[in-house]
Amino acid sequence: MKPLLKLFTTTAVATATTLSALASSYAASCTNDSWNKIQDRGKLVVGIKEDTKPWGFIDTDGNLVGMEADMAQEVADMLGVELELVGVQSSNRMQLLEQGYIDLMIATMSDRDDRRKIVGAVLPNYYTSGTNILAPKALGFKDWSELEGKTVCGKQGTFYNKIIEERYGATVVAFTGNAEAKQALRNKRCVAWVFDDSSIAADLASGEYEDFEMPLQTEDDNPWALAVPIGERDCIFGRFMAGMQYEWLRTGHLLELEKKWGIQESAFLVKQKDRFKDWLED
Amino acid sequence: MSVLQKHGSLVSQKTDLPVLKAVKTRPMDDLGLSRWISRMPLWVIFAFSAVILLWPGLASAQTAYSLEKVWGILLKWMPLLVFKGFVLNIVISFFTMLIGTVAGVFLGLGQVSQVYPVRIMSWIIVQVFRNSPWLVLLFIVMLSFPFEISFGGTHFTVPGWFKAVIGLALPVMANIAEIVRGAIRSVPTGQWEAAESLAFSRSQIMWQIILPQCIKRMIPPWMNWYAIMTMATPLVSLLGVSELVTLSRQAMEAEGNNPSLLVPFYGFALVIFFAYCYPIARLTLLLEKRFTIKL
Repeated sequence: MKPLLKLFTTTAVATATTLSALASSYAASCTNDSWNKIQDRGKLVVGIKEDTKPWGFIDTDGNLVGMEADMAQEVADMLGVELELVGVQSSNRMQLLEQGYIDLMIATMSDRDDRRKIVGAVLPNYYTSGTNILAPKALGFKDWSELEGKTVCGKQGTFYNKIIEERYGATVVAFTGNAEAKQALRNKRCVAWVFDDSSIAADLASGEYEDFEMPLQTEDDNPWALAVPIGERDCIFGRFMAGMQYEWLRTGHLLELEKKWGIQESAFLVKQKDRFKDWLED
Repeated sequence: MSVLQKHGSLVSQKTDLPVLKAVKTRPMDDLGLSRWISRMPLWVIFAFSAVILLWPGLASAQTAYSLEKVWGILLKWMPLLVFKGFVLNIVISFFTMLIGTVAGVFLGLGQVSQVYPVRIMSWIIVQVFRNSPWLVLLFIVMLSFPFEISFGGTHFTVPGWFKAVIGLALPVMANIAEIVRGAIRSVPTGQWEAAESLAFSRSQIMWQIILPQCIKRMIPPWMNWYAIMTMATPLVSLLGVSELVTLSRQAMEAEGNNPSLLVPFYGFALVIFFAYCYPIARLTLLLEKRFTIKL
């Protein structure tokens, strides 16, 4: 009995030590640089997409608008600071956040394991999308396997380019912007444009792609994450953004924004609204 | 030339023997671009505009976009494209030229320096930046420069377009340095000797006698480089700077990315650049004609 007790005590002490060590290092490692910088200069700089309608695009005055621009505005309003929106691309959004050029990134980014090592993705995820293709109706694609050996247009910096190549043997030609890639599809440089299904659905709904369809089963459904600098994910800024997202999902505010920007109601947001429901609410 | 002509008349009889004819070399033209642009008659610009204006009509066989609709869209975006987009191109070109010229003059003087290390260093810098692809220089500067400078607690943001200015100024600097060196070399050596015999020091000769004579020679090629560099400013759209071409692309995306918009939008960019560079090219040639030294 005694040795067992001793072992138990030792373990308890060890655990306690580890925990306290964790706690102290946790507090000490929080410099809250970005958070303090935002307060100091009274301005929040958010990176959003500038060519991804309707999440982030420009209006005729050159301002960035869209669903994610609205979300950024709400964050700034909550902080009581000015908002500055910066246009980012899929290929540079993480670097810009890493370098501190932007304080916060809300840029249609899929939440991936490898990305979490670079930027501080904050949970809960605010949106989701899967991979699908936009292809001419005339080609009549039915299955992903039909893409084998074909050239497909993609976007630089998306995670599924490699998956499409490895899983289905397609050749992906990746462009920096959505506009160029879709133009290449129209010019028949590729048989399909592989991108987020939610974005393709928005394109189809715009009426500009009457001869095109989204024929395949959506794959790799992947939640989106907004991100703060990685050092601040578990500090004030990260916790604050977690709270913002929780409220957005709980109140169904993002569903309203979807409606405002003409996006189909997404099942994910309906589900999350139910999931985070206040149990005292009737 | 006159000697050759004399010879020519002497040996003008027919012969079967191979004759080495006088080698005709055209001097390197450092005003190629300006010459090419300014030779275009003015109606070209109107023809361009007409094609772009009518393009949606010509190409409308497969699209539902009418001429009025496309023009409505372009007109709606025009203020943004011109006053935010093209103005930024001009701002970039001004600052690039300013920095490139100041740095280029010193580099050019360094190339004719009597101090060997200065001369060789200037030569190396000029060769490196003249012969590097502009886009590579742009990428290096854009990605390696800090975007924010903290100075005594205040943060200064270095905007993307200013980094682009530095990236573009490097090749411009090297080419201006070559213009300066060439202009100094083109002043007859008699000027140096005469000045020396009047007991001027080297720096006095350079600044008071040689350089004033160079300025007139430098202005046409300098303006030619300005036109070349202005037309190269859309390069920075690849780096996400919101200039004319970037905004055109984003505007097309915001309008649903219909292919009928492509030619009008990019054509508009073409016309506006042409309209800006054409007078510069004409003026360049005019000045060149005026400043040509008759020997």
